[in-house]
Amino acid sequence: MTGKEVYKIWAPFECKWADWVRPVPFVQIDDEDFKIYRNGNFDIPKINYLNELKEDTAIIVDLPEHYSINEGIALSRLGYRPIPVFNGTAQTKGARATVDNHAVESGLIFGGIELQKIELKQDAPPVFLTDSNRLNRYKLDISIFDNSWDLYHQDLPSAEYFLKNGIDKVIVRGNKFNKDLKKILYRHQEKGMKIYFTEGYEEPKEVKLKQIKEAKN
Amino acid sequence: MRLVNIPKEKYNDYRLDVMFDCYKWDPQFLDNNTIAKYALVITEEEHKELEELTEKIDKETIEAEEFINKNLKIAKPLALPKKITNELKRMKNYDSTKHIRLMRYDFHPTKENKWAVSEVNSDVPGGFAESSLMPQVAINAIGETNFYYKNFGDILAEAISKKVIPGGKIIMVHCTCYSDDRQVMQFLGDKLKSMGFNIIYGAADHLKFENNIAYSVLDGNEGKVDGIVRFTPLEWLKDIKPKTWDGYFDTITPSCNHPVAIFAQTKRFPLIWDELEKNGIKLETWRKLLPETIEVKDAKNKEGFIFKPACGRVGEKISIKEACRDNEFEEILKDVKKHPKEYLAQKKFISKPVIDEEGNEFHVCLGSYTVDGKHGGYYARIASSPRIDSNAADIPVLIERSI
Repeated sequence: MTGKEVYKIWAPFECKWADWVRPVPFVQIDDEDFKIYRNGNFDIPKINYLNELKEDTAIIVDLPEHYSINEGIALSRLGYRPIPVFNGTAQTKGARATVDNHAVESGLIFGGIELQKIELKQDAPPVFLTDSNRLNRYKLDISIFDNSWDLYHQDLPSAEYFLKNGIDKVIVRGNKFNKDLKKILYRHQEKGMKIYFTEGYEEPKEVKLKQIKEAKN
Repeated sequence: MRLVNIPKEKYNDYRLDVMFDCYKWDPQFLDNNTIAKYALVITEEEHKELEELTEKIDKETIEAEEFINKNLKIAKPLALPKKITNELKRMKNYDSTKHIRLMRYDFHPTKENKWAVSEVNSDVPGGFAESSLMPQVAINAIGETNFYYKNFGDILAEAISKKVIPGGKIIMVHCTCYSDDRQVMQFLGDKLKSMGFNIIYGAADHLKFENNIAYSVLDGNEGKVDGIVRFTPLEWLKDIKPKTWDGYFDTITPSCNHPVAIFAQTKRFPLIWDELEKNGIKLETWRKLLPETIEVKDAKNKEGFIFKPACGRVGEKISIKEACRDNEFEEILKDVKKHPKEYLAQKKFISKPVIDEEGNEFHVCLGSYTVDGKHGGYYARIASSPRIDSNAADIPVLIERSI
């Protein structure tokens, strides 16, 4: 499959929320250096924090590497539309990097195969999938290629857009609530949306986010 | 100038082709689709006029920056960041024939049926793939044979190949954490690679300089570098610790762009025009195209001025009230008051929108490139608001053959 073909599975034309699917990892599937990481074992986990589709709730799954994709497929079985928002680039050939951004690409291929088997409504609520390893910034020394990345306000729909489309709650599912997501969702909270967090084993709990000041360049 | 629709039934495939074949990796910004549903078609007459104006204004910019570089005392009103000012004297050895000079002038059609230039992107203009590959994809979708375009990528790559040794190692310097920077670099890198160059992608601190020659310290890619294409803005470079960036200012490794670009990059550049003209530098085209620009303090009781940040990018922090969101306008005014030297006041021009078949109005920012003094093609964006910022949509520019 080409990157474009895989992309079309995740972002079918005319589907609500599909415009937010970021093309970066799909484009990299076509790179000459691309290698499939695994050979087909795509485990789909059990979802413990949600029993059914909630039309008024969007989810953000923020787990390492492909685990967000696996969980996204599990949630799509409940009726959510998985929207990958991976935005990390590949390092120059031969260089060590802070993040293995290739790790999600194979997940998107195998996850795409699973997703094709699931019938979703055109306006199914979204579950955004991202890689919590994106924030690995530690550089052993200056020579390392820093391909860590952040999520920014522009990468997700605005609060206005969510509210206009009947969504007033966002659940963040992760091992921790990362700072970049807190920054983004603070604005959503300010506009009246409710923000919840879960580590996956317990019911999502509402959180009150505080404003995080932008660093001045 | 007119808008031509990408046929509705072809638009979804067009958008996909733009993402995958034209390096457009940021097709969505918040709630906005950043790939326009149109092409911007200009007449050959408009093209010739723009080409001529662009080359004239560029000649003036180049003469001005070379003069300032030799007469640094007149640069004071530019109020450049101290860390950069401290390095300017290093640029004494700057030889324009050894480097590649790339700029993009942002033109806007005005209500008076004239052109206004809002700024020059002198340091690190972007939009490379959008101006090189998107037009052909649009022509294919529209199916019109009377349109053509100027391929910016071909022109820039050709200019680089004239100054970097054949097969040489070129580093594409960018903020490696940003995919929207990488897409610009990847397009040009792939093009140069196809011409036989050895391309590496790295950050600004992956270069060290010895005897004014650049060396890569990027893991697995160490060694002498034969060319630098930089997309990290100078005002970001200065914040890198430890300080390994000063070598950019006096390197003899062919660079695109060399830091000499900083003089015209600051939007305060017009504040030293009087002084430049006293010294024989002609700035007629600039005077004709750029709205009146003054110090913030001098705009106090004047009507019709907006504030722009000296180091602003993609329309950020420009005080066009009707284009600001939430409390952005008040926040900008507060910042202007606090840091007046980091801003300038500019007479607001009234943009003349282009109108689509359904009567929707769009404001246009038509970027016109120069590469080593010659016109290099176009990069345009449209927006329903008169401020063209990150919410605007990229639109390919096509030229219609005269019959």
